[in-house]
Amino acid sequence: MKKKKWWTMGRRESLQGYIFIAPWVIGFLAFTLGPLAFSLYASFTDYNITSRMDFVGLQNYDQLFTGDDLFWTSLYNTLYFVIFSVPLTTIGAIFISMLMNQSLPGMRIFRTIFYLPAVLSGVGVYLLWMQLLDPGTGLVNTILSWFGINGPNWLFDPDWTKPSLIFMKLWSVGGSMLLYLASMQGISKNLYEAADIDGAGTWKKFLHITLPLITPVIFFDIITSTIGSFQIFQEAYVMSQNGSGGPASSMLFYNLYMWIKAFQSFDMGYAMAMSWILFVVVLIITIINLKLAPKWVHYEGDDK
Amino acid sequence: MKRFSLLALALLLFLTGCAGFTGGSEGTQASEGKTEDGKVKIDFWTFWGSEIRRPVIDKIIEDFNNSQDEIVVEHTYIPFGDIWTKELAAIAANNPPDVVINDINATALRGQEGQAENLAPYLEKDDISGRFYENLWDATLYEGDSYGIPFNTDTRLLFYNKDAFKEAGLDPNKPPETWEELEEYAEKLDKKSGDTYERIGFYPLYGVGSDVWLLNGSGMNYFNEDDEPVINSETNVDTMEWIKSWKDKYGEDTINRYQSQIDSQQSNPFFNGSLGMMANAATFYTQIRDYAPDLDFGVAPLPEKTSGSGNTSWGGGFVAEIPKGSSHPDEAWEFIKYLTDKEAQEYWAVKNFDNVANIEASESAATSDELSEKDQMVYEMAAQNLNDTLLTPMPAYAPDYVNLINPQLDAILIENKPAQEALDKAQQDVEELVEKTAQ
Amino acid sequence: MDITQRKQLAQKRDRRKPVLSNNLLRSLNWILLVVGSLFLLSPIWWMISTSLKPMEEIMQFPPTLLPQEWHWENYVHTWQAAPFTTYAVNTITITLICVVANVFVNAFIAYGFAKIPFPGKNILFTIVLSTMMIPGFVTLIPQYVLFAKLEWLNTYYPLVVPALFGSAFNIFLLRQFFRTIPNEMIEAAKMEGANHFYIWRKIALPLVKPALATVAIFSFNGAWNDFLGPLLYVNDESLYTLQIGLQVFKEQASTQWNYLMAGSLLVLLPVIILFFVFQKYFIKGANITGSSSFDK
Repeated sequence: MKKKKWWTMGRRESLQGYIFIAPWVIGFLAFTLGPLAFSLYASFTDYNITSRMDFVGLQNYDQLFTGDDLFWTSLYNTLYFVIFSVPLTTIGAIFISMLMNQSLPGMRIFRTIFYLPAVLSGVGVYLLWMQLLDPGTGLVNTILSWFGINGPNWLFDPDWTKPSLIFMKLWSVGGSMLLYLASMQGISKNLYEAADIDGAGTWKKFLHITLPLITPVIFFDIITSTIGSFQIFQEAYVMSQNGSGGPASSMLFYNLYMWIKAFQSFDMGYAMAMSWILFVVVLIITIINLKLAPKWVHYEGDDK
Repeated sequence: MKRFSLLALALLLFLTGCAGFTGGSEGTQASEGKTEDGKVKIDFWTFWGSEIRRPVIDKIIEDFNNSQDEIVVEHTYIPFGDIWTKELAAIAANNPPDVVINDINATALRGQEGQAENLAPYLEKDDISGRFYENLWDATLYEGDSYGIPFNTDTRLLFYNKDAFKEAGLDPNKPPETWEELEEYAEKLDKKSGDTYERIGFYPLYGVGSDVWLLNGSGMNYFNEDDEPVINSETNVDTMEWIKSWKDKYGEDTINRYQSQIDSQQSNPFFNGSLGMMANAATFYTQIRDYAPDLDFGVAPLPEKTSGSGNTSWGGGFVAEIPKGSSHPDEAWEFIKYLTDKEAQEYWAVKNFDNVANIEASESAATSDELSEKDQMVYEMAAQNLNDTLLTPMPAYAPDYVNLINPQLDAILIENKPAQEALDKAQQDVEELVEKTAQ
Repeated sequence: MDITQRKQLAQKRDRRKPVLSNNLLRSLNWILLVVGSLFLLSPIWWMISTSLKPMEEIMQFPPTLLPQEWHWENYVHTWQAAPFTTYAVNTITITLICVVANVFVNAFIAYGFAKIPFPGKNILFTIVLSTMMIPGFVTLIPQYVLFAKLEWLNTYYPLVVPALFGSAFNIFLLRQFFRTIPNEMIEAAKMEGANHFYIWRKIALPLVKPALATVAIFSFNGAWNDFLGPLLYVNDESLYTLQIGLQVFKEQASTQWNYLMAGSLLVLLPVIILFFVFQKYFIKGANITGSSSFDK
């Protein structure tokens, strides 16, 4: 008797769970699943968007892996960008939010200023950065020269193009700052006060209280910025020479190459095959992250 | 919380009553396209939305609408670049506009891919191909049929600073005619104070790319008449080495001082005499006219590689095309004919100071009263130059070949890769691409 | 030792600390923030300076740092160069709907993923995440065709209806915050007979206010800055948005930098003001860990 009752409660709860997630399921079935399935199928065809869609089997995939040097170049460039930009922007964002989470005079203005670059978007900003990074008259090298540093050629030197973009990303790190701030606001002051009593310093408090309690957001930030960095596109499209990833293909990122294939060569089937390869790569990384999460992500609310 | 939710709901209901949810002021489907008085309505997409261009194209449309009583053209501005993504989506959804302005160099490819209507049936009835510069017309052909009618074009010229010429003891009415003279003149125009250049005589890659000089040197683009890639020819190796020698002459730091300013089309060193000569599109003149009105400058064709090798220049441009699936192709054709006829073309040329595809219009624009003396001088030079201007159409059998060549050109200039080796690699890569596509 | 005692003790300890070192640290932080702000603001300052120059000056070489004359009328000209007032109304309409929908719908869905056990949850959640991993270009064409079939072209439906069904990014974000709510609180409410809908509304939502504010700000930005969406789906120029409007200053070969920058700044202004005002909602957020805070 008792057991049966427990079961119905569990079921009722599951049902509520399904109701909660129902909007997403409906939206997924209505707007996302169809186009996804279509693009998966099209990746096995020579789809050109307008007039052709013949099944070609694994030909696109075969060509990508065995006969396309630019594919590997673009993958390398993208991995380079992901490996540097994700940790740097995460650390940068945590650092800035620590600074922002104090009560100092003018803090509301500081927060707004630090958030501002994240709001600025669009082509204008990238063009602006081309100006700032101009090796001769740009602001960045001008400032460097005040300290006697001879600045690099930024967007004209294949070795410096990707660092330039990472530098730009760091500038607009204020977006994720918001996340961390929201999370830090949730940490009880009592914990810090208790630590004060124990004589803990600022660094210790950060390490033992703040950091563990913001791990859910760090986890979120790492996963989403990894996914986002893999899809870097517009920066390279606007800032590289002729939008083709130059100089010397150093800004030919995965999505830029895919875009060129899809909308310049109209080889959409090929581009779709590329997108599914990227999907698998990112999915594997995400699943590894999800599996590793219990080891370091600390949810205050979960039962031990 | 509750009150806030109610407020939010009310807001949503109110907002969904706004225009964007009732389908705008006109019908959603191009196929419905009829006006109340029974005229056929056609949709015309361009990327000409600026204060300079928009009034000109709107006037041409208005004139067309008033010139007959069957067709009404409706103009929609869509930003450059994105306009073609949208066009493609609209074609895929079988709901395209009727006329779109598109890149001339990809016209053949779009013909092959079935994105644009074949215009051959219309051209059989009234052949207007003779209106246009031959190179422009040829770029629109796929398997002999045209898929877009040339509208405007451009061409590269050499701009030079006459005051600087005088200062350096050069004849301001005698621009350099060969690459050798170009080097000589540049040497004389160079002005140094200490180790830094106060004036750079000339650098080939300010304003144009290496590909323009390859074209200029060899008199042909990357493909020969049999559609075979010709990239590692002796002339091309020569040309690349020549460009490299300029880079070595001035040094990386000096060159980079101006490069991104020029690339971003801002503060140009040619305007204040920091740069003696510069290759650029003919329409660069309008910037000099508007932003450096006191500059005494001259224009000339691009110099020849060697005497007699030809002043070949490079150009691009745009066509008016009928996207596949347009619901009113016949009416669209009527409009395209008007758009590319002498009257509209001349109006566009004069009002925008832009090179047009129609020869007659181009020639008469050069002497138009509406242009100033200087305007006329540059325009005439540009119009003449069009006869020597080659395009670089994307071949349908190797559409993205430039992505294989450009990294190699960069390797020569940036990484000091020997020109022969780099071009050999590019040649091999493009050959492979052509072969693969042929399968 | 209870909390009050501890607090007193801590205050004593504070008093014992040399005041100077504490103040020094604060001043150092403050200086760091000022320097950081200057660095972040330098591009903005360049935008402002450009927006006030005439084109002749922008084209001067080398570039000038400050305008020689301040052309405030550039702003008026910018606003009149295209029907920007209409565009502003359109953008506000779309943005408001997206923000409201995003905050509520995603909070609803995220709660289900965070706090209710049901079979298949992990798989479904992985699918949610995976929708973020497919680049937009490949679904662009099929999605456009889908919306065309629904006869939604030239309306705002393609821009706002999908927002009513949640987005992976926001679901994931809010799920992270809901998960930090102690399970005991929810269990306690269940013991008293509350169902999850009640718990969501009365207990969970108020506890994640800072996160809701974050989602609101992110969605505002997203919708406000969306360019490709309106561009693709709207044909009628009277339905265009601000981001499309800004493009009129860019010709293929030349750009009216002063107007483009003036326009960009005007479009940016509401976002900055909103953020400035909105801050207090997530800075003064409730305490997730349960106990109330003592400070100030």
